[in-house]
Amino acid sequence: MKTIHILIGLILMTMGLSGAHAGQPGIADKDLGLSKSTVFDTPSPEAFAYGEASPGSGNTLPRAYTGAPPQIPHSVQGFIPVTVRNNLCVGCHNNPAMWGQKTKGVPTPMPPSHYTDTRNAPGNVTKKLIGARFVCTQCHVPQASVQPLVDNTF
Amino acid sequence: MTTTRRDFLKTSIAAATAASVGIPLSQAVRAQATKANGDWRWDKGVCRFCGVGCGIMLATKNGRIVATKGDPDAPVNRGLNCIKGYFNGKILYGKDRLTQPLMRMQNGKFDKKGKFAPVTWDQAFDEMERQLRKTHQELGPTGMAIFGSGQYTIQEGYAAAKLMKAGFRSNNIDPNARHCMASAVAGFIQTFGIDEPAGNYDDIEYTDTMVLWGANMAEMHPILWSRIADRRLSTDQTRVVNISTYRNMSSDLADLEIIMRPQTDLALQNYIAREIIQRDAVNWDFVNKHCVFATGPYDIGTGMRATGKFAFASEQDIQAKELVRTLDKFEAVAQRKKAGDEVKQENRGSAGRHWTISFNDFKKAVAPYTLDFVAELAKGDADESMDQFKDKLKQLADLYIDAKRKVVSFWTMGFNQHQRGTWVNEQTYMNHLLLGKQATPGNGAFSLTGQPSACGTAREVGTFAHRLPADMVVFNPKHRARSEKLWKLPAQTLNPKVGSHINKIMRDLEDGSVKWAWVQVCNPFQCTANANHWIKAAREMDNFIIVSEAYPGISAKVADLILPSAMIFEKWGGYGNAERRTQLWREQVPPPGQARSDVWQVLEFAKRFKLKDVWGEQKIPGLKSKGFQDGALPDVLAAALQMGYSPESTLYEVLFANADNKKHKWPDPLAKGHDNHTVTALGDSWFVEKALFEEYAAFGRGHMHDLAPFDMYYRDDVRGLKWPVVNGKETQWRFNEKYDPYVKSGSGFDFYGPALKALPSGDLDVVTNAKKTALAGKAKIFFRPYAAPVEQPDDTYDLWLTTGRVLEHWHSGTMTRRVPELHRAVPTALLYIHPADAKTRGLKRKDVAWIESRRGKIKAIVETKGRNTMPKGSVFVPWFDEGVFINKVTLDATCPISKQTDFKKCAVKVYKT
Repeated sequence: MKTIHILIGLILMTMGLSGAHAGQPGIADKDLGLSKSTVFDTPSPEAFAYGEASPGSGNTLPRAYTGAPPQIPHSVQGFIPVTVRNNLCVGCHNNPAMWGQKTKGVPTPMPPSHYTDTRNAPGNVTKKLIGARFVCTQCHVPQASVQPLVDNTF
Repeated sequence: MTTTRRDFLKTSIAAATAASVGIPLSQAVRAQATKANGDWRWDKGVCRFCGVGCGIMLATKNGRIVATKGDPDAPVNRGLNCIKGYFNGKILYGKDRLTQPLMRMQNGKFDKKGKFAPVTWDQAFDEMERQLRKTHQELGPTGMAIFGSGQYTIQEGYAAAKLMKAGFRSNNIDPNARHCMASAVAGFIQTFGIDEPAGNYDDIEYTDTMVLWGANMAEMHPILWSRIADRRLSTDQTRVVNISTYRNMSSDLADLEIIMRPQTDLALQNYIAREIIQRDAVNWDFVNKHCVFATGPYDIGTGMRATGKFAFASEQDIQAKELVRTLDKFEAVAQRKKAGDEVKQENRGSAGRHWTISFNDFKKAVAPYTLDFVAELAKGDADESMDQFKDKLKQLADLYIDAKRKVVSFWTMGFNQHQRGTWVNEQTYMNHLLLGKQATPGNGAFSLTGQPSACGTAREVGTFAHRLPADMVVFNPKHRARSEKLWKLPAQTLNPKVGSHINKIMRDLEDGSVKWAWVQVCNPFQCTANANHWIKAAREMDNFIIVSEAYPGISAKVADLILPSAMIFEKWGGYGNAERRTQLWREQVPPPGQARSDVWQVLEFAKRFKLKDVWGEQKIPGLKSKGFQDGALPDVLAAALQMGYSPESTLYEVLFANADNKKHKWPDPLAKGHDNHTVTALGDSWFVEKALFEEYAAFGRGHMHDLAPFDMYYRDDVRGLKWPVVNGKETQWRFNEKYDPYVKSGSGFDFYGPALKALPSGDLDVVTNAKKTALAGKAKIFFRPYAAPVEQPDDTYDLWLTTGRVLEHWHSGTMTRRVPELHRAVPTALLYIHPADAKTRGLKRKDVAWIESRRGKIKAIVETKGRNTMPKGSVFVPWFDEGVFINKVTLDATCPISKQTDFKKCAVKVYKT
């Protein structure tokens, strides 16, 4: 229902803006969607930058919901790509000793799930990072300092 | 899963016991047992995004999704999700969700030049009906079209296809999956006579060699990639090869990376075939028993229009190549012609024709593909030495040929989106069949798919312009007769003339032969190549375009009417993934506002047409088929009357709410308290999704495509089942006697697909004996030559452009760009370019550059570092970003057999803004 109100709000707003068009109410196609332009326009993409905080500066980003993977709060420059012989993320985040302890100010330790081979030995927490979790950037991504294109009410 | 108190007590006890001995617990049980969020309702579901088909668990509270998790019991992903997968819940809640129909209006009525204003569903359907009646009157069934989807649920695709084919007698329904895996389909049908892979994802754990051909699995199939990573890291002998036109994330874990020039995969595979023969490594026992050799014509064009009438002035030169091609030296060799020869493309209309050849001819055909020849043609990175490249090709051949190795070849869009997509698919089977490394655990050519139900719906249901369910086709009279029987239609209701494929529907809009089009579960005006033509056709021609959508994207912007659609977990549905696994889910939450499921939209619209409107004689321009009058479908109303139908019966009553379907009552106990807004909104009391599923499944049962009963998929201990499901048992490896109940006993292997299994014979150029030989049980080993791309960099447009996806966004971004975490991860599509190429154009990292082709130009931010490393001369731009509308630039050339667009290669120039 809320969305309908927004839509009606948008229509009223557009009506106000488009007085020149003989007062015809409605939403122009350029006002729909993520790029506020018509399909025939060629917008210029806006510059953006990822956070430049260095690892260990203590920030974390809010989780999207309970159980969602944490976002990377620091610069990943020099840390990716993750290759067979070189996974620099693990250097700091492989820290089972911190499980169950307060992690504020320390690198977020990979949780027990990352040490559990859910395919072959579920329930068995090992000491080794499981291969299926090896490519960190598959789930954990850095965040650029840009505004959402539209709000999300999740 | 709703549980009773008794169940809860049982699970608590089970949990306590299990925890002490380490038995895995299903998520449902664990969620119950922990009680951490006791008022959350958990249920199983499937990921909305790619073709991998990961299982997820969904938590809901008060009619909203509050959390999702990877399902630990799902064999596909065992609890993991990729970054997109974790946001399956959040995609529903972008603030600009479409919640009511919007129509272009002026002075209180529809006006193509008007602005969007809210209307009621009745007003929306009234206008759709009025417009369709007008078009139907003028152009008949071929004047209408549906843009379908590989993201349709099984039931949505089935309802839409049935309404079009059985109701309106129009075959103009084609999915965006045409852009995605049509070449894979054609490869399967021509090689095996039946669609879809022999193997399954467990091949990853059984094999020790995985070769990626044009498949950046690290980004596009991340969870399969996690399985590959696990395999690679846990067994030393495992080798991963990444063959691509640029370095991507899949190279990060690869042991061997081969950077090739666009379209030279055709030559690489012939090099491997030549090596197999030279090294006497053909598995003759397998080949003699189970294979034949085949080839087809080379002069087949590249799927563009035959006329330049609609081409922009700047497009004319490439357009002209559709009819006549000048051979380069690499093509000429394989065709036994001279470089510079002009070849008329005589077989444009019969590109799929093929015939058997002898092994000696096959051997002769691959003979020119020596290491020197192929390396000179295929080396894709100017900075790599020729010696190193040759060494890599040798290593590649060694890996395939090594008798001790099992090999799985994976591919996706690098092969499928290809001007010879069908050929290059067939070549992979060629090498696996020559070696006998096919259809056993850990061995096989494995075509991956891109969309969540490209297999389950687009292919299996058959929402293509030429298909009917279960691999049947409209141009086969037996298939039509069987479909008419199952659908209880009068004989000759179905239209034997293949409809327009998705590119052609766009061309039809442009030339005015289609005037009414309905877009369902896709965004074709963003995802179709050479888009400037199509957006102009939509906005400037006399036509009516309906777009059913959850969020306004490019297609909604060019629409005349926008219908608000329910999203995945707001409806009952099912998907089928790339390993033949069918997975069904329940409605979890109600759709917002007046949004409704696509099934409801189709069925509700079907109420507005009566048999007398559509089953009389219909003109079909160009129809020529045995038993039909030229150019017309017969009046079947009298026959319908005989069958007990009235001319006044609606399509809803005849096709959907018939006595058989109404036997499936709603409510149904398997709902376990979950709602069904489709049934409620329809105002009827039959279980629509169950009835449609069971009716559809009748096509495949006993016909090599057996699905389990609807209810079985909803059992708590089932996480999807791989068809054919025979006697309650799924099939792990098809065509292999050990695993597949359809294989003839004693045969070992049986490539039993029935399509195209009687062939004439000939030499490498022509048919010499028109008499057809039956090839039951055989697979075909095709010779297919190298063919040059129709557009290549030149002095003006001096760079290759390739396009694709990124890990963090799904398709055209309408869902994932509304998740702030994913938007912040990749805010816009970047232009990946080699630093030297940037420098010579006066560009540096983060500058905004123009990218221009003969077809259009757009702007993007320059990236010279990051996850992709381009070789000199090539650029990459992802297509998810509607603001970086790269399909205005791409070329709409297709594989002439599959009609799938080649989004991977065209020529552009890049310069400063």
